[in-house]
Amino acid sequence: MLFSSITFLFYFLPILLIVYFVVPKKFKNLVLFIFSLFFYFYGEPKYGFLLLISCIINYIMGSLIEKHRKYAKVFLIITLVYNIGQLLYFKYLDFFIENVNNIFNTNIKFMYIVMPIGISFFTFQTISYVIDVYNKKVEASKSFLNFATYVCLFPQLVAGPIVRYETISKELKNRKSNYDTFALGVKRFAIGLFKKVLIANLVGELCASLSVLTNQSVMSYVFQAVGFTLQIYFDFSGYSDMAIGLGLFFGFHFLENFNYPLVASSITDFWRRWHISLSSFFRDYVYIPLGGNRVSLLKWIRNIFVVWFLTGFWHGASWNFILWGLYFAVILVLEKKLYGKLLNKTKVFKYIYTIVLVVISFVIFNCETIGDIKIFLSSMFGFSNLPLVNSETLYYIRSYLVLLIIAIIASTPLLKVIGNKLKKLEFLEPVIYIGIIILITAYLIDSSFNPFLYFRF
Amino acid sequence: MKNKIITISFVFVIELFFILGLVIKDESISKTERRKLESFPKLTINKIMDGSFMDDFEDYTLDQFPYRDTFRSIKANVNYYILNMLDNNKIYLNNDGIFKLEYPTNTESIDKFINKINGIIDTLNEDNKVYSLVIPDKNYYVEDELFLKIDYDLLYSKIEKLNTIPIDIRDIMNINDYYKTDTHWRQENLDKVVKRLSEKINLPYTKINYKYNTYSKFYGVYYGQAALNGTPDTITYLTNDIINECTVEYLENPNLNTVYNPSKLTGMDSYDVFLDGASSFITINNPNNKENRELVVFRDSFGSSLIPLLIPYYSKITVIDIRYITSNYYLEKVKFTNQDILFLYSTLLVNNSSSLKD
Repeated sequence: MLFSSITFLFYFLPILLIVYFVVPKKFKNLVLFIFSLFFYFYGEPKYGFLLLISCIINYIMGSLIEKHRKYAKVFLIITLVYNIGQLLYFKYLDFFIENVNNIFNTNIKFMYIVMPIGISFFTFQTISYVIDVYNKKVEASKSFLNFATYVCLFPQLVAGPIVRYETISKELKNRKSNYDTFALGVKRFAIGLFKKVLIANLVGELCASLSVLTNQSVMSYVFQAVGFTLQIYFDFSGYSDMAIGLGLFFGFHFLENFNYPLVASSITDFWRRWHISLSSFFRDYVYIPLGGNRVSLLKWIRNIFVVWFLTGFWHGASWNFILWGLYFAVILVLEKKLYGKLLNKTKVFKYIYTIVLVVISFVIFNCETIGDIKIFLSSMFGFSNLPLVNSETLYYIRSYLVLLIIAIIASTPLLKVIGNKLKKLEFLEPVIYIGIIILITAYLIDSSFNPFLYFRF
Repeated sequence: MKNKIITISFVFVIELFFILGLVIKDESISKTERRKLESFPKLTINKIMDGSFMDDFEDYTLDQFPYRDTFRSIKANVNYYILNMLDNNKIYLNNDGIFKLEYPTNTESIDKFINKINGIIDTLNEDNKVYSLVIPDKNYYVEDELFLKIDYDLLYSKIEKLNTIPIDIRDIMNINDYYKTDTHWRQENLDKVVKRLSEKINLPYTKINYKYNTYSKFYGVYYGQAALNGTPDTITYLTNDIINECTVEYLENPNLNTVYNPSKLTGMDSYDVFLDGASSFITINNPNNKENRELVVFRDSFGSSLIPLLIPYYSKITVIDIRYITSNYYLEKVKFTNQDILFLYSTLLVNNSSSLKD
């Protein structure tokens, strides 16, 4: 079930809100747990059990790690093997088989495993939990229900952010929800919906239209690349906003996951602003345990490449994602050791440098094969004998121009700054946010527009 | 206070539509989109476990959402007037008219069309005289170069491969010959087409007097799709004694025996007044013509309004729509000897010919 769906907005949420706010405090986590399971089951009927088993195993192992410190390492390793093994099996097995077959010329049959929704997120959450318990950073959860509610909590279950147990452990036991937190939640949720449905989906339409043009041009590739960068940013950050907003409905405060990454001043800065919960996960659970930057130069470079290999690979079982991760590793090493300080001295160039590299990165992210990446980049930079622009490209650029301008402005902090200056107009907020909900509903409903007959009769 | 209003109004809105969704009776068809709407899906364990129930339920909630057309209209207005998009769901507006973007040129479809028609011609007798008239769709006459169009020059040059005597009407038509809210042409403007046809087919063209019957508030196919408040068209159908005295047989509607079916004017699609709309096989006998000249028309929906105007020149017209019947049927029913054969199709069909049956 997507947050941006009629089923969620006008069936799941209205029922949950009534039940949640009617039941006594002690049953609130139970309500959230049951509704979260239903939410997961609705999108992934076959793998609901996997989520539950994950909860049970990590809950028990967390308790064992805490109670039996002597054997804590053993318990930790067992839990990590289970969690990572589960991820490897469901997400990567067919990818490994494919590569083994290619390299060794074998003919191992594919398993055709369907990846359970959200497995990358909830596995990372449980990993962070057991490691934090092992490192005595958090206490193991005493209550299974609280722990299972944490793992299954529907706002962040299927697409993040990766919420750590320490962030909400207190709120799992005791939290307040009032008009202020709820209204804040409504605002974040509405903004997230706006980003997803009005910007990401429409920019996605533009990219889809441009990708199938009969006659391509340099500009059609440029706008696809820029469009895809905007689409993925608004899609993902919109989803994070919705998750944060929904958390606030029930009194949970999740950490921010995006901070205007498209106006970053370097790639190092970009990764402080993009998918923060993932980059901080790899920083805390891979990079720092490997020694971070307090090691020799060679080991540091190794650490960077390991982290960015894993970051890329986490995004999907495909070589283009690995390449995408390693692309950032190279740039980060260069920025740190070669030109980072020089770059920082420039006023405008650093922003252009960053956005161009980010746009190229999403070309790599979006193309399925290395061959596709080559074709795309050479076309985009005018090395493919394509015309600069043609009537088809112009039609779509003209048609989506206002949307693109809105998207570009909305990817900067400009609207926030303007909003802060217009405090006097705050009384309009209810109208604006409810207006957004109505508008989003209109776009969702029209997505089913499907006139029966092209030709009549 | 402000936060209280935001909270209460948000909860009110989602609870309201939740309740309305439960209370308001489901619709079975959408008049604006002219299609069946999803009904509540069947609930079985298998459908739940394979996820198809959830998919169907999603479709159901979208189709049956309260005030669906109002919401579609909100979206269309925002797309056109705030985001300033050139089209919404491929529907665009130009000079008061509503158009559907037809793009890109589907050369495969054009070739298939040519092969299909030439295949039919191969089955005919040599004494049949075979003509083709490919009607430009109204996008052809949009002057604004911004809007994407199919490559009409390519299409018309390709269809020269048809083994027919071609009749081209591009030079005599204009944008006003089409309804503003619909894809079709206006019957009352087609006299010039009859004239051009008669020159080519060698018919004794005369200016014929007709009675102009009109019906206002014709909401064409694009009207509902555009989801904007606009002015509907007026539909006009021409009658005279010759047309009224014909006997007509429809394969799908044996009870009807007239050229027009005025009861369709108030139905979902007023254009169905012409030859009863979707009809795969029609025979029109004109007792007032003693020439024994026969016409067989292979056609799409554009033919419905033109064919009545050809009645005075023929004693019998057979109308065949090969989107709905195969050659087995019409070869059994029609003896192809010494008739005029006319292939009458719009560029829309030529560019989307997959619906033609073998």
